[in-house]
Amino acid sequence: MDNITKTNLPILFERFSEVFAEQKDALIALDSKVGDSDLGLTMAKGFAAATAAVSALEDASVETQLKTAGVAIARAAPSTMGTLMATGFMRGSAAVKDCEMLGTVQLADFWVAFRDGVAQRGRVQVGDKTVVDVLHPIAETMIKQAESGAALTEALHIAYASASEALEATKDLVAQHGKAAAFQEKTRGIQDAGSTVAVILIKAMADFVSEL
Amino acid sequence: MKKFLNNPENFVDEMLEGIYLAHPEVTNVANDLRCFVRTEPVKGKVGLVTGGGSGHLPLFLGYVGDNMLDGAGVGGVFQSPSSEQILEVTKYVDQGAGVLYLYGNYSGDLINFDMAGELADFDGIKTATVVGCDDVASSVVGEEHKRRGVAGIFFLYKAAGAAAAQMKSLDEVARIAEKASVRTRTIGVALSPCIVPEIGKPSFNIGEDEMEIGMGIHGENGITRKKMAAADDVVDEMMALILAEQSYETESDVAVLINGLGATPLEELYVIYRRTAQVLKQAGANIRHVFIGEFATSMEMAGASISVLKLDDELEPLIAAGANTPFFKHIKF
Repeated sequence: MDNITKTNLPILFERFSEVFAEQKDALIALDSKVGDSDLGLTMAKGFAAATAAVSALEDASVETQLKTAGVAIARAAPSTMGTLMATGFMRGSAAVKDCEMLGTVQLADFWVAFRDGVAQRGRVQVGDKTVVDVLHPIAETMIKQAESGAALTEALHIAYASASEALEATKDLVAQHGKAAAFQEKTRGIQDAGSTVAVILIKAMADFVSEL
Repeated sequence: MKKFLNNPENFVDEMLEGIYLAHPEVTNVANDLRCFVRTEPVKGKVGLVTGGGSGHLPLFLGYVGDNMLDGAGVGGVFQSPSSEQILEVTKYVDQGAGVLYLYGNYSGDLINFDMAGELADFDGIKTATVVGCDDVASSVVGEEHKRRGVAGIFFLYKAAGAAAAQMKSLDEVARIAEKASVRTRTIGVALSPCIVPEIGKPSFNIGEDEMEIGMGIHGENGITRKKMAAADDVVDEMMALILAEQSYETESDVAVLINGLGATPLEELYVIYRRTAQVLKQAGANIRHVFIGEFATSMEMAGASISVLKLDDELEPLIAAGANTPFFKHIKF
């Protein structure tokens, strides 16, 4: 089955929290170069809380599960990145209101709302060396895949490929926001830590759907 | 570093414990010392909530009290409070008339207050937001929305707080706060750096004989760094930046705030005020209200800021209104 449903969505969140637990130290190391080293910790904490909150729900809709995850991340991970991820899930949940399942079309809507919510809340634009630099190609790729009628597995893997490419390209950018902005030119050559989080998310989602 | 500290990690919470012990009219909610509220909220009144990093007392929590604010989210030193803490304060402060978020224009605070507002909306609480962006040194004319919020936010608290106490609606209180924001200008000067307790060393270096005009209250870069000069010359240079943006044609009523950044004696603030008053009068301003002291500090930074609010008939009585908070008492005259 090439769809995410309300039944298997809690398993996707389990995957998210497993992956962020695995990547915790790598993210801490990346963030310590120009940030305050708390990214790995807050993501691991945030997604663990999201998983717990979603699995505690009973027979909840796709929208409710995604929104609950967002609220749980906001509470458990009160850093800037935690709040931005929370915003992404909350806005994404609103975009798939009343959807029984998430296919390519619905997930395109989800990622567009996710990207727009993060950009708006963080007041950032593409090119500012933030997570939006990866969320943007994910959203745009998903729209194109939806238009061409691609199956979800294929669409997510292509979105993951574009996200990886965009992540690599963040090395050439100069940070404009957050603590990294104080380092400005020194951030050139360093992969953006926030963008890495978005790549982890889309990869985990693509891998999860492949195994369905 | 020579500071009165126990474990630096406990600095903020121990400060809060001291404040709660000294001032029973304020307390905390949600079993979190950093969710700071008035002990007795006023039924039916618009709630005013502020917040931001610690290290700026009396800002932010110091203005929670009668005729001013109702609650504050308290962050670590120079760090934003979390959206969850702001939400908890919001829930307590809401007395049915909605809540106005009033805080300084910093990215961490913007993100967390916006998030708290979205979460409050799920709980059926209406919120509105006005940010202080009064620091003329932090962005050019036309890009005022990018400016940092500094000591001038005091005028926003005063005006919005008095308006809310008159039981005006959320929209009205927000409009008045926004008006005070648009009409307030601040310029600061720093003479020495500050030390964040958990870091333990100065956040920047500045020469013994140097000053930096326009430096932010967390040590953000200012406009110029130069040799220290005579007090009147420093004030003239600072006031020129404000006068370039606001005209005080004959008989413009203004309120003036001379703010110490933490290590500058009150005596020197009055030396600064003396020249500021001369410059303002020469520019045609009629000084109606004067506030001098520490209103928004930066730990032990030496330096000062000058804020000017251009009054109108609506704002003047709100600035004149009485207020009673742990850190600010004002008798209406």
